[in-house]
Formats: sequence, C-alpha cells, structure tokens
Amino acid sequence: MKNLQDKPFALIGVHVGGASTKKLKEVMDRENVTWRTFVDMGNAGAGPIATKWNLSATPTLYLLDHNGIIRYKWAGAPGEKVIDAAVEKLIRAAEKSK
Amino acid sequence: MRRIGIIILLLNLSHVASAQDKSATPAEIFKALRKEYDRASSSGVPLTDAERLKFIGEVYKHRNALARKFVDLAEKYPNDPIALDALMQAVWQVNTTPWPVDLVGEDSARARAFELIERDHVKSDKLAPLCQRVSFGFCKEYESFLRKVLEKNPHKNVQAIACLSLGQFLNNRMQRLDLCNEQSDLAKEFADLYSKAYFAELRRQNRDMVIEEIEKTFEQAIEKYGAELLSSGTTVGERAKSDLFRVRNLRVGKEAPDIEGEDQDGKRFKLSEYRGKVVLLDFWSYV
Repeated sequence: MKNLQDKPFALIGVHVGGASTKKLKEVMDRENVTWRTFVDMGNAGAGPIATKWNLSATPTLYLLDHNGIIRYKWAGAPGEKVIDAAVEKLIRAAEKSK
Repeated sequence: MRRIGIIILLLNLSHVASAQDKSATPAEIFKALRKEYDRASSSGVPLTDAERLKFIGEVYKHRNALARKFVDLAEKYPNDPIALDALMQAVWQVNTTPWPVDLVGEDSARARAFELIERDHVKSDKLAPLCQRVSFGFCKEYESFLRKVLEKNPHKNVQAIACLSLGQFLNNRMQRLDLCNEQSDLAKEFADLYSKAYFAELRRQNRDMVIEEIEKTFEQAIEKYGAELLSSGTTVGERAKSDLFRVRNLRVGKEAPDIEGEDQDGKRFKLSEYRGKVVLLDFWSYV
C-alpha cells in the first residue's frame, strides 16, 4: 500500500480471531501491525461485530467512501493493485468534495 | 513435467474403466470412482505456489473427467439407488474461484447431471446438502435446480433449505457481478468459465429487481420455514434473518452500520468517527 499519510484515508481493522485485548496488543506489537483495530470479543468469528456483519471468512474487506457508504466489498484478498486503485479513486472523490 | 502428469492421469482413468468392465455392481463402480475422486484431491507433499497452481489445474481436470463417469453411471442405472449419489458427486465440485478456464478445463458433466437430477430425483429427501453446497457457486444450473427443488420437492425441510440456498446463491452471485463491474480481468474469467451468453444475460439484469427478489426469498425462508433446522443446528429463520440484514445493510451502495468497540489499547471508539475519510475496513484474524 502506498503512503497515504497526508490523505483523507484510514485503515481500520476488526480482529475477529477471538483474542483478548491484551493478547491482541502483544501480537500486533510483535508483528508490527500499527493500524487501529476493533477487538471483537467472544469466540473466533462469532463475536458481536462478526455476527452483525455476517462474516463468513477472513480476510473480508469493505471500502467505505468519505460519507460512510460501502463502495466495495471483497471476500478474500483481492490483491494490492485492485485495492490501491479503488482507494485512490475514492480519495480523489473525497478531496474533490471538500 | 506437465505432460507426464497428464499421461499418468489418463492411465489412472483407464484403470478405473477396466475395473468397471468386470461386471461390477453400480455400487462397486461408485465406490471405485469415489476413491479415485478423493485421491485426486491431495498432493501428499508440500507444494510451492507455482506447483500448487498447476496441481489445482490437474485436480479440476481430473475431477471433471471423473464427473463424466459418475453421470455415465447414473445414466446407465437410472433406477439404482446409487444413481442419485453418483449425480450428486458429479456436481459436488463447486467452483467458488473463477480459475482461468485454460487452467482448470470445462466441466462438461454438470449440465447433464442437473438435467437428470431434475428429471428423476427432484422429489428426493436427500437433496438438502446439495442445495447448501451450490449456494456458494455461480453456475447457471444451480439457480434452476434450486428453483425446481423449492417448487416441486414435497419435504418441508428440503424446501426450506432450497429456499434459503436460493437467496444465498442470488446474493453471492450479485456480489461477484458487482466486483466484475470494477475488474475487467475478473469479468473475463467469469465469462470464460461460466459461458459468455450466461454472463452477458446476468449483466443485463436489473440490479434493483434482483435485490428485491433476494429479500423476498429470505422473507419467505423466515416466515414459512423459520423453524426448520440446518445441518449445523441453527434454524433456517436465524440464518435467513442474518442474510437479510446483510443484503439490506452490508451491500455496495449502503451506509455502513456503525461499529462501537475497544481498540487494541483498550480505548473505545466508533467507526463513524472516521466520516470525512475513506476507510478500508479489514476483518482479519491472527492465526
């Protein structure tokens, strides 16, 4: 993923693996995962967020525009090129609307 | 190397064919083919990515060839109880990834297999697992199969699962079509693998009407079949409610439901705090 630090963009995770906050923090520090992540409590894949979002597999990705509208949804990783192109398209639209 | 692989594969198949000639019973032939099918699914050794891709291609081609044999068996013994098992096995391989058709080959047994299932077995009480299985797929035949089972099968549990599976099939298919609108390479793979005419027909469909039908199908599953059980133990009603939520709120074009929760530092936050920014929401799991 390209450097998007100065852009209106955020990567938000939802960890659905059933780990506690403490355990997840350890794993993320160790693996150098820096993005902010919701901790979905409960059994793996069956926490309240995963249940509400009808999650069937990981990774599942949703790309939301600056108004919070779902613009893309991928079950399974679609590849960096596909994500980058979609993100760039939506960032352009977000910047234009300012 | 690839050529050698194919030669070995053909030898295996001719071996199965000769086993059939010794006046084996339909059940014995089924068992031999089934063994062959299972053996075709495992490489037995760890593979590199390139090897794995080649292996996947060979597995699909091998299974496609075996599928034709399962259909032949069912055609030869239409009244034997094994006929339905053979037909279900012939269509069991549900391709959820559109591998290039050059890699995996065409599944020429599928259309005939579904024709026979619809002709001879549409009232069977054994069709629920197949309904659930094909709900993940994309093929044209799955849709007509699910509709016919829903219409003609006399068993309430089978009807229930056909109803739920039809909604899921239509919903899964629509999501893949949405992705194809953005990715031309993906669209080409779907068209090549599932027929250009069928793909073109799907792209002409009115998306709003498809969504309306998906919602109605899930509503029917909740109202008419809500108490019926799935093999997992959950009820059709529970599952359909969650699918209905997905189609109403979690599809492209809808406002994302808000999420409120704790981050990895134990700090509470909401997804909606990020309005104004493009957000990539990544459901992940550390294994």
